[in-house]
Amino acid sequence: MSLLGKSLTRIDALGKVTGETLYPGDINMPDQAYMKILFAGRPHAIIKTIDTSAAEALDAVIAVFLAKDVPVNEYGMMLKDQPVLCGPGSEKPFAERVRFVGDQVAVVVAESVAIAAQACELIQVEFADLPVVSDPLVSMQEDAELLFPDKESNVFIDYHILRGDVEKAFAEADVVVESEYRTPAQEHAFLAPESGLGYIDEDGRVTVAVAGQWAHEEQDAIAHALGLPLDEVRVIHPAIGGAFGGREDMSIQIALALAAWRLQQRGINRPIKIIWSREESIIGHHKRHPYIIRSRWGATKDGDITAADVEVIADGGAYACTSTKVLGNATLMCTGPYDIPNVKVDSYGVYTNNIPSGAFRGFGGPQGAFAAETQMNKLAQELGMDPVELRMRNVAQDDTVMSTNSTLPKGVTLDKVIESCALAAGWNNGIAGWQRSGESAWPPKITGKTKNHIKRGIGFAAAFKNIGFSFGYPERSWAKIELHGETEIEKVVLHHAGSDVGQGAHTVFKQMAAEAAGVPVDKVEMRLADSAGKEDSGSASASRMTFMAGNSIKGAGEAALEKWRNEERPAIAEFTYRPPATTPFAPKTGESNPNFAYGYVAEAVAVEVDVETGHVNILDVICANDVGKAINPQQITGQIEGAVVQASGYTILENFVQQDGIVKTPHLSTYLIPTVLDVPDRVESIILEYPDEVGPWGVRGMAEMPYLPFAPAVIAAVKDAIGVWFDEFPLTPERVLRGLGEI
Amino acid sequence: MKPFEHHSPNSLEQAFDLITQDDNNSYYYAGGTDINLQLKSGILAAESLISLKNLSELKGIEYKENNGLKLGALTTLRELQRTKTIYNHYPALSQAAGLMASEQIRSFATLGGNLCNAAPSADLAPPLIALGAIATISSKFGEHKVPIEDFFLGPGETVLEEGEILMQITVPPPNGETLFIKHTPRMFMDISVVCIAIRLLMNNGICNEIRIALGAVAPVPLRAVNAEAELAAQPFSSNNISRAAQIAAEECSPINDIRGTAAYRRRMIEVLVRRGLSSLNENYSKV
Ligand SMILES: Cc1cc2nc3c(=O)[nH]c(=O)nc-3n(C[C@H](O)[C@H](O)[C@H](O)COP(=O)(O)OP(=O)(O)OC[C@H]3O[C@@H](n4cnc5c(N)ncnc54)[C@H](O)[C@@H]3O)c2cc1C
Repeated sequence: MSLLGKSLTRIDALGKVTGETLYPGDINMPDQAYMKILFAGRPHAIIKTIDTSAAEALDAVIAVFLAKDVPVNEYGMMLKDQPVLCGPGSEKPFAERVRFVGDQVAVVVAESVAIAAQACELIQVEFADLPVVSDPLVSMQEDAELLFPDKESNVFIDYHILRGDVEKAFAEADVVVESEYRTPAQEHAFLAPESGLGYIDEDGRVTVAVAGQWAHEEQDAIAHALGLPLDEVRVIHPAIGGAFGGREDMSIQIALALAAWRLQQRGINRPIKIIWSREESIIGHHKRHPYIIRSRWGATKDGDITAADVEVIADGGAYACTSTKVLGNATLMCTGPYDIPNVKVDSYGVYTNNIPSGAFRGFGGPQGAFAAETQMNKLAQELGMDPVELRMRNVAQDDTVMSTNSTLPKGVTLDKVIESCALAAGWNNGIAGWQRSGESAWPPKITGKTKNHIKRGIGFAAAFKNIGFSFGYPERSWAKIELHGETEIEKVVLHHAGSDVGQGAHTVFKQMAAEAAGVPVDKVEMRLADSAGKEDSGSASASRMTFMAGNSIKGAGEAALEKWRNEERPAIAEFTYRPPATTPFAPKTGESNPNFAYGYVAEAVAVEVDVETGHVNILDVICANDVGKAINPQQITGQIEGAVVQASGYTILENFVQQDGIVKTPHLSTYLIPTVLDVPDRVESIILEYPDEVGPWGVRGMAEMPYLPFAPAVIAAVKDAIGVWFDEFPLTPERVLRGLGEI
Repeated sequence: MKPFEHHSPNSLEQAFDLITQDDNNSYYYAGGTDINLQLKSGILAAESLISLKNLSELKGIEYKENNGLKLGALTTLRELQRTKTIYNHYPALSQAAGLMASEQIRSFATLGGNLCNAAPSADLAPPLIALGAIATISSKFGEHKVPIEDFFLGPGETVLEEGEILMQITVPPPNGETLFIKHTPRMFMDISVVCIAIRLLMNNGICNEIRIALGAVAPVPLRAVNAEAELAAQPFSSNNISRAAQIAAEECSPINDIRGTAAYRRRMIEVLVRRGLSSLNENYSKV
């Protein structure tokens, strides 16, 4: 009996609810010492000198490491533009500059946390401040202060799409909608702030045990910075307390490795431990990119969208991180999953002295989708057309040529998700096309007296999101399967480096390994979460893990079974899955085959707005998500509900404030994330299963998708309720009242 | 955080002796939910901390119909929220406590701590001001009483002199209807952007006594005396309710900060005071 499609109880559930499971911060090793990282504390400056003598004079201080101690003082997933430690003395040009408040300046190792903190305070850093560049629009100007004097501009990446004749199409359009959108930064606020241990393992490897998303990428970054061969570095992921993209880039990993390694060279072989406070976590790791998106779309009076001209500006913050890929997604998604024959997009990733921007659930998709879907909803209003009908008239299908002058991979199901969601939300498809009937059972009616300062509205949006980084990125995922037994398979051992960041990946790995080997799940053992003895499985991000790992497990399973049939005992096979090749944007036109698979989603949202206080209350959400194949339906529902909760924080509450490069909301008392009382009263998850052609057992990725349409659906619902379009969010009570002209 | 000494005196005398008048670096504390954050962030550098938790004189909740309510300074927010007599006779006070922080914090945090910490946003201040509560303060040199209305001098500043301890809060017997409204972006676990408390006594449709107290809109929690005057000795109408609400908004002096601008805060005072007055008025018309 197949196990796919069954909601197997999470294999990590018991350990986590009983507290038995160890997160990195829970692990203690004999004789460990404690580390603290000194942050720059200022957004833009040159470090003239660093005097560590007073810190080192403290009895219980074991060592202080600076830039000069880092052999290759750089890292960065896409561009190696970030110094491991800022300060004089390394070969990296301009590494003596600090470019944001969380830049790391010194690593202190001491006998206790308190002494390490005291030592940090005793380090004398002489700074020469530089002008702070905090506005990406200013940063783009030619005479702007350069963050990297060896680069020509603060614009570190740009993409351009040019298809058809946009100006001609605008001239012929019956309606044109033009807006400037601004989307906010967002903090991941995962449960467990960064923590971990660095030590030299029994085989002499520099080892780091941390919560991450991609063990082999971390291994690579550490090896590069320390100038070590890969196999002398090991990364272990104990239990991971949430990630959401926030652990995609380095935080404490290289510092831990550096300290353990340098100490060993001094004859001190001791494990090093660090736990960041929430404040250090908020200042120390990247945020979701704030975007400015200027968007102009044209359509005929029949609702045929003919032109889109979009300028996309991403505030990349101090370092590039994953910005190049994030911007790629936004560049593609800012024109939506629609058939638009004439498209021009110019997009820019820009350095500023803000906290670096990087990966966060949706990866550029939410910002692109916000602009695209709000344009759609505004167009629908201008045309006097139902928003679902307008979407259905323009929806991308298998043969639709997209802005990249290529079609999407076969099996586009945008129309299916829109249809399912719309039907559940009270729409029907009659002779006049899609319309919502007045007597719809959704959203639930208010019983009792209604107050006249409370207004209700509903909104609709749809989205597509790629699986994997792609745009030419060499995606891969490795798995090894061992089949043990004599006449029948008694035990299956799966080796895999894919991370379970809390999303339940390892549970579905187990289900898929059992399916691949044709055995019950209780025969599957797994060796996971350690770079040692394993090859790269890619990151737990970009909605790719079930898709990529599934294909590698399936491939390894098939190969092992083949050996089994040939009487090999044990039968052991490795397999590296490589998805269909993709290509990057062509420089001027953006022509490309950017992605090998997509997920599709539509959402309807009902809200209530208090027009006197500005409170927006999300009442009800319907989400239709095509997941291809639901390996574990309960986990799918969990991802949909989780995405809705996280997106509701993004849309309404979470206001990350930076002024001149200084974070004004470094605590969870001022950076407000939703509590259980702030999340929608009800989320209805509609799981569709139209198989993906290359996904394992038909799987599509799904965990980011429900995030994408949420903000634009809420914006449309608020417009429906109070008649005001908001082109900027979060919709804090104050912003809503300003929008209403009340203050 | 710097190392500090810690004392847990078992008698008031001991507690008094631990802080001398020219001692600037010793602090009393109760639940520690405010002072801990200040120590950790370095806003406060203490040489010694003195726990008040063992002092029986600061404990107890006592209600008598003729005398009203006596609350020891160590009364926790959870007790304020959950004690039946408080809930029945002083609903605004109980509601305010219930809307503060989280269950965990409410089990530690105390009434005395909330008042002595003197945040402009301290949620217990407006209901106690509206109720006409009085603080009893003691030191080595004796005891004196101060109305809560006059207890606050500025952000973080109260009438307490070095070495003085807030012992008790007395609340007069219930007199009229009370209400508390807290406005925050988040539904729960959030600090007031503004909050208000009102006590209204109506006789035969005429406003006999009214007290309107405002939080988080001035350096100290304050009474909206002009708004009160607007309503005194009159029947309520939507007109004078709106006018009083506007006056309240004018008599506060909010600031811009990360939680909201001054303009927004003023606006919210107007909305909440109007809503509060209307709702109390409706309660009276129902009777
Ligand atoms: C997560 C969180 C949420 C919170 N939410 C709210 C909220 O919603 N609303 C709100 O108003 N507050 C809130 N607070 C603040 C705090 O919890 C309250 O102010 C609480 O009532 C303080 O009481 P305490 O006993 O913990 O004070 P402590 O920290 O013990 O003391 C605070 C101050 O008062 C002094 N002090 C205490 N007792 C006495 C006494 N008897 N005599 C003389 N001096 C004394 C101390 O020296 C110190 O300066 C929150 C705090 C946290 C951590």
